[in-house]
Amino acid sequence: MSRAAGSSVRARQTEAEPLEAELTDVVESQLTDRPWLVIVWNDPINLMSFVTFVLQKLFGYSKEKATKLMLDVHHKGRAVVSSGTRERAELDVYRLHEHGLWATMEQST
Amino acid sequence: MSAPIRRRRDGRYTIRLDPSVRAVLVTMSEQLAPVLSPDDPTTKRLFPPAYAGPVHESVEREYRELVDNALINHHRQAFELVARTAEAEVLTDVELNTWLSAIGSMRLVLGTRLDVSEEMEAPAPDDPTAPEYQLYELLGQLQYLMVEVLAAELPDEGRPEGEL
Repeated sequence: MSRAAGSSVRARQTEAEPLEAELTDVVESQLTDRPWLVIVWNDPINLMSFVTFVLQKLFGYSKEKATKLMLDVHHKGRAVVSSGTRERAELDVYRLHEHGLWATMEQST
Repeated sequence: MSAPIRRRRDGRYTIRLDPSVRAVLVTMSEQLAPVLSPDDPTTKRLFPPAYAGPVHESVEREYRELVDNALINHHRQAFELVARTAEAEVLTDVELNTWLSAIGSMRLVLGTRLDVSEEMEAPAPDDPTAPEYQLYELLGQLQYLMVEVLAAELPDEGRPEGEL
């Protein structure tokens, strides 16, 4: 895959307006407490074997673990495929989007 | 008759496809590459939202500003590579992975336009959407074959760290 995103999608952030940056800091401080969950959602288009392959390839999961996650997506509609800092979750979401999977992130409750 | 996609001893892949299939890959790549955008109804599906749950809308907006160009470039470069190498008899590992990604994107575009569902049956032959559905199915078969060949090279036990 493309390494254009570097180690963080945020690393590419350009200079923001000072006021906007301050507001962003306020929003971000409210978001950093709990870990972020990266979720893959079921969709009717992507092949099951492709979803398993992407999870193995991107996360280094065993075939068994990737298959279980794929089946959770298929049967339960969604599965948590990774978790961590907000930055890490954004990167994982980005990589999943590069591969066409419907992935979102949300903070654990 | 050998398999359409086969791994060679040198680690590259032999691609045996009908010229009409190769032509379709070029046509679709050339059609989609210039219109890639989260705002284009055709390619919108390639740019899902990142944030779910109760977050301030500025968070999603900020994320989109950060990544949209990179994601557009990623998809465009994949389509351009497919258009450029569509006639190739042999592809490298990187090239085949890029084909897989681009063909997956084509299926997402077609499947969204056809509004496919898991229970959906193929449209009747005289249905106006039948040709597009056939193309969608063909790309699915191609993607299936590619995944089969590429997945065979991944270690079953996984790796300590994924592709980063």
